[in-house]
Amino acid sequence: MKKRPSFQGLHLPEAPGLDPKIETAPLPKKVVLLMEQHPGGICEPVVSKGDQVKTGQVVGKSDRFDLADLHATVSGTVSDVTLQPDPRGNKVPAVIIESDDRDEWVELPEPDEHFAQLKAEEALNRLRHAGIVEIGNPAVPLHVKVVPPELPDTYLFLVGIPVLKKVHTLIINAVDSEPNVFIRRGLLRHHPDDLIKGIRVLRTMVGAEKVVLAVSETDQLSIDRLGPYAKAGFELFGASDKYPSGLEPILVKQVSGKEIPLPDGTSRDTGYLVQDVVTVMNAVEALRDHKPQVDKLITVFGSSLSRPKNLRVRIGTPVRDVLGSLSIKPDTLGKVIFGGPLLGYAQYTLDVPITKETYALTLQNEKGVHEFSPNACFNCGACVDVCPINLLPNELSRFCEFGRFEQAENGFLLHCIECGLCGYVCPAARPMVHFMRYGKSEIAARKVGV
Amino acid sequence: MTSRRLHVSMSPHVHGGVTVSRLMSQTMLALAPAAVVGIYYFGWGAVKNLVVAVLVAVAAEAAMQRIMKRRISVCDGHAALIGLLLALMFPPGLPWWGVALGAVVAIVLGKQIYGGLGNNPFNPAAVGWIVMSVAYPNYMALYYAPQAGGASFLQSPIIEQIPLTVVRGDLSELLSYPWWKLFIGYQAGGVGEVCIAALLLGGIYLIAKGVISWHAPVGAILSATVFTLLCNSINPEVFAGPSFHLLTGGLVFSAFFLVTDKGTTPVTRQGKLLAGVMVGALTILIRYWGGYPDGVFFAVLLTNAITPLLDRIRPAVYGRVKKVA
Repeated sequence: MKKRPSFQGLHLPEAPGLDPKIETAPLPKKVVLLMEQHPGGICEPVVSKGDQVKTGQVVGKSDRFDLADLHATVSGTVSDVTLQPDPRGNKVPAVIIESDDRDEWVELPEPDEHFAQLKAEEALNRLRHAGIVEIGNPAVPLHVKVVPPELPDTYLFLVGIPVLKKVHTLIINAVDSEPNVFIRRGLLRHHPDDLIKGIRVLRTMVGAEKVVLAVSETDQLSIDRLGPYAKAGFELFGASDKYPSGLEPILVKQVSGKEIPLPDGTSRDTGYLVQDVVTVMNAVEALRDHKPQVDKLITVFGSSLSRPKNLRVRIGTPVRDVLGSLSIKPDTLGKVIFGGPLLGYAQYTLDVPITKETYALTLQNEKGVHEFSPNACFNCGACVDVCPINLLPNELSRFCEFGRFEQAENGFLLHCIECGLCGYVCPAARPMVHFMRYGKSEIAARKVGV
Repeated sequence: MTSRRLHVSMSPHVHGGVTVSRLMSQTMLALAPAAVVGIYYFGWGAVKNLVVAVLVAVAAEAAMQRIMKRRISVCDGHAALIGLLLALMFPPGLPWWGVALGAVVAIVLGKQIYGGLGNNPFNPAAVGWIVMSVAYPNYMALYYAPQAGGASFLQSPIIEQIPLTVVRGDLSELLSYPWWKLFIGYQAGGVGEVCIAALLLGGIYLIAKGVISWHAPVGAILSATVFTLLCNSINPEVFAGPSFHLLTGGLVFSAFFLVTDKGTTPVTRQGKLLAGVMVGALTILIRYWGGYPDGVFFAVLLTNAITPLLDRIRPAVYGRVKKVA
């Protein structure tokens, strides 16, 4: 294996003994379908109170191409259309469906076993109607990412897609984004055949010549399972097991040595396209079974769980119900985090539902909550030694703290990917990511002239 | 419907566990061997230095924070560390009031008036040492001849010049002195500076624990070696070689414990390396041609002064691409 470009990062401890099976969570009594399932915009609800809906029926829609459709994830009655808390702490409109426990599906076309030969335009259509959203920062609907380059420019103009860069390599990301999150590894081990088929379709769609399967170099099990597939344009790539190896900009750098132009660039700007395996799996379901995205694979870890659990849950399931199905008592919890321990969002209420963006649920007991009182930065440089973007977080955090946003911007604050490592290592316990986000929001506000 | 209150905070939700007080206590632990050797060779003089400097430094910090109406933060151990460093830098013969004065100067003028930990531009311990040696050069020359074991406690100390002063008069005397005696600390000098072996032990412990990086110490030692090697090869009659200059004075002490001080040195790897190189070169420069026998603490102070400049040398930021072709 050739030497891969290095990056700064940190080996973080993980729970031992991991090969979590994928379990299916019981059907929820009610689902809360937020109209904002990914950053970028809010769908319009197309059902109203009292309507009967079936699983897979469209409940939220938008005219915009870059917004994913939203489907009912259980069958039942729409009990309300109202504002509900979302995982980022805002309130957004939501359709609430009381389940009738029958899980009746809308009529789907026959499964298409030959989906691997689909034309690009038809595949795009199916993906668009499935409303799949990838896991990412920021999360983007899958169909926006994999728009085929051979589509006529007029079509692109009509649907409002910017001019596309050609993709020569498709990177399939099977490196989990955070420690103690196991969805990508878990899926890779249990469904390699389906995955490869899905990868083939995506590869045809974007016209990539090469596919790189990026797995963690220490994940021997996945390497063994995938070894037989690594031929004829498929390449197995052992990514570093340092955090944040699985984040898109860092993965592209490891595979190609190229850097995504930050802050606004995507991997497509470098000729590479990164797609995580969980989304590829969803794409397979959409292309073959015509199934819209109604469930989500998440890792639940922490609290009374001694090992991480991989759960397939319906989108819209309130956290309270997820915890209930695992018999975790809510009053033992100190912190409930959507996402992993380093990137996740802490929640103030257990009514927050699982969204298409959710990939993990991290639970902390009252004792396990990391409490801190921040001190002044004393320039120790611990953050500088771990920043994967090579920023000087010590300086940036002080600029943001004292309102010197212009200087922060000149110090490339907007390149920060908020991986959280600076906060993890800080001896002064400074809320580094908090400062970075604060600075970014202030810079954004100044740009629009508020 | 009220549920239990949940904690809400920004990510990350875990922490590596490294705290200021842990960094300080690890550094103090790394200094312990040097302190023990100092007590072994210099007896009561060393004990007095340690006790007075640490106690006064902590008290001065608490008093200063009280006066400035700030949170009392002596528990983080930084004041105690400054006291310990000073005790090890001072000669064992310095009277107790001199040690106390040095500690007060270090804490008040070196640290607190700038706003406390991390805001001071200069290394507090170096500030304390320099103020004392400029103000009281006679007392700061009271170095003891080493007396091993019980002798250092029982017999009255003999005042002796440090090798760096001796070498200014006559180079031939030092050539007959075995290098390993210098290495184990059998020489006159600051309480903790003399035993290079103990300092190396502590320094390697700190690097292994990740408290400091290797860049600054290696830079300092390497640049001093190259500099002395060069001068020594030009004129060995006048310029002593690297083995002498590395094993005497406070160079190794500073390389591991002052140039790696958290707040006053650069944060990037390149900057750390350059800071080390600068300290090493300046030290030798002052030793060969300067007015003081050992210039290492001046070198540290001067390097601290250009830290903001060295901090401008930074690694290329990811994604800094003008235009993608």
